[in-house]
Amino acid sequence: MLELDQVAVSYGKAPVLADLSVRFAPGRLTALVGPNGSGKSTLLKAVMGFLPVQSGTITLDGRPIRTLARRALARRVAYLPQENRCPDYMTLGELVELAGYARYSLMGGPSDRDRALFRDALETVGLADMAHRPVNALSGGQKQRAWIAMVLAQDAEIVLMDEPVNHLDVKYQYAVMDLVRSLTRDHGRTVIAVLHDMNLTSAYADDVVMLRGGRVVAAGPVAQTVDADSVSRTFDLEADIFVRDGRLVCLPRLAGTGTRLPEVRARTA
Amino acid sequence: MSLRVPVLAVAALGLGLSLIANLSAGPGGIGPGAVWEALIRFEPESYDHAVVAFQRLPRAVIAIYMGAVMAVSGTVLQALMRNPLASPATLGINSGAALAVLAGAYLLDLGIETQGVAALAGGTAGFLAVLWVARLAGLSRDPRGLSLILAGALVSMFLTGMANAFLLADPVRRTDFLGWVTGNINHVYAERLYDFWWIGAASFGLLMALARPLTLIALGREKAASAGVNVPRVRGLALAAVVLGASSAVAVCGPVAFIGLVVPHMVRPFAGAGLARALPAAALTGAALCLWADLVARTAFAPHVVHTGLILDVVGGLVFAVIVRRVYLAPAGAAR
Repeated sequence: MLELDQVAVSYGKAPVLADLSVRFAPGRLTALVGPNGSGKSTLLKAVMGFLPVQSGTITLDGRPIRTLARRALARRVAYLPQENRCPDYMTLGELVELAGYARYSLMGGPSDRDRALFRDALETVGLADMAHRPVNALSGGQKQRAWIAMVLAQDAEIVLMDEPVNHLDVKYQYAVMDLVRSLTRDHGRTVIAVLHDMNLTSAYADDVVMLRGGRVVAAGPVAQTVDADSVSRTFDLEADIFVRDGRLVCLPRLAGTGTRLPEVRARTA
Repeated sequence: MSLRVPVLAVAALGLGLSLIANLSAGPGGIGPGAVWEALIRFEPESYDHAVVAFQRLPRAVIAIYMGAVMAVSGTVLQALMRNPLASPATLGINSGAALAVLAGAYLLDLGIETQGVAALAGGTAGFLAVLWVARLAGLSRDPRGLSLILAGALVSMFLTGMANAFLLADPVRRTDFLGWVTGNINHVYAERLYDFWWIGAASFGLLMALARPLTLIALGREKAASAGVNVPRVRGLALAAVVLGASSAVAVCGPVAFIGLVVPHMVRPFAGAGLARALPAAALTGAALCLWADLVARTAFAPHVVHTGLILDVVGGLVFAVIVRRVYLAPAGAAR
């Protein structure tokens, strides 16, 4: 179990996380949502030890995470940054093989078990026949799946993802989120993902942590947590929340401008 | 993938042929057969064998050392800095080492051995100065890393200007260093190679041991750290290996620019981005290229011998322009 207790982080004088406490239940997909600058990415980076934590503790199964060496942490927690850039001429197979670094000895390479793991990872993301292709020759959606394959191949129980569907078109957003959810459903991973879209969150996440100004506004299972009140307090936005096809839909209200199509509304109502 | 397996074998064969060609070229009509004889069954009485063994072979070994060390250093710097223009020459290592040698000789009257040690210190100082200036110039907010290259150019100009001032200050000793400071392969400096070869060898060994974490760092520092790499330690060790290795090559041949910048770009399409294969491929290719540059320098204007560094500067300048065009003037993202 990954747990943050009274964690404070600041860039210079400006606090980014202010006494933030939250716990992430194992085996679930938790979405981190909130406006820009609310501390979502900072929370992930604090867990990874990329930022100094001024006060409070981050623990993994009760052990302070900063006492874990990089290798030991990598065996338990994988991280997908927001922006990923692959050097030219690196193939998908090579990229995935690098993910096993924390398990290799100094001069050694991947074991048979590792190689099976890499094949599984590529199969899971649907790129099994592309291992020899350069990553930079893949399409945008394939590239994102390649990075997810790398995270999978790291074989860590907890996966942190910073905006995994950033820059993807709508179809790929849903395809990638299907994949992200399968990490929890079929592979038993705990996934914590920064998301921007409340509808993607409602469709895929088990739990949600709503952040604003470095504090938790609301946290818990999606169905009990996302409502007009919590959305308004998180995003400063009036929105209608309703159920459609068995999932929550978050529809922001138009503040006067924008296009309204009365006849379409009449047809679908 | 299957195309890449023989890359090292092809590069090694190329280096072997380049060596034979290099040793065979020049006045006196010593053919490849005689060269082979001289290497295998050396006859102390034979004039031809003596030319090969005591004049051409030392030059060739120096060319191989310089080419291999510079190419490997450039490959590692480009991966670590994630910058296609990084190299010992563009990041102040060469000019720092060159200035330290001149300053040591002119100000402190250092002997030929201690001048080499001054080169190691100078290369380190030049590189640190570039990093410092780049940080002042806002490197952390510059995703394409142009400020690093500009800082390198700025510091190199300053250091080279100081080196020129030393040369101008003492006309008597100027000729001793004028050739060296433009980058030259000269068997006179074989002694220094004898003292320093182990630095290049140790540098290469360490970088090969770090090949996998260094390849990960090329994906980005946070990505590498999240995969288990101790980034500060790996980066520190690798930079020390690169700076000392490249400085040792400068001590032997003077500041040679072209190899470290261009060879990584030549090798990458064939050897891939993984440094475990790219580093040996770069070493073999860089060595072969220097042998050819040396051959051209000795034969193109025969009986005059041109400085190898000048040949490399002319070619390197052109290729630098091509890389800048491809990397910085391409639409964002296209060249990556």
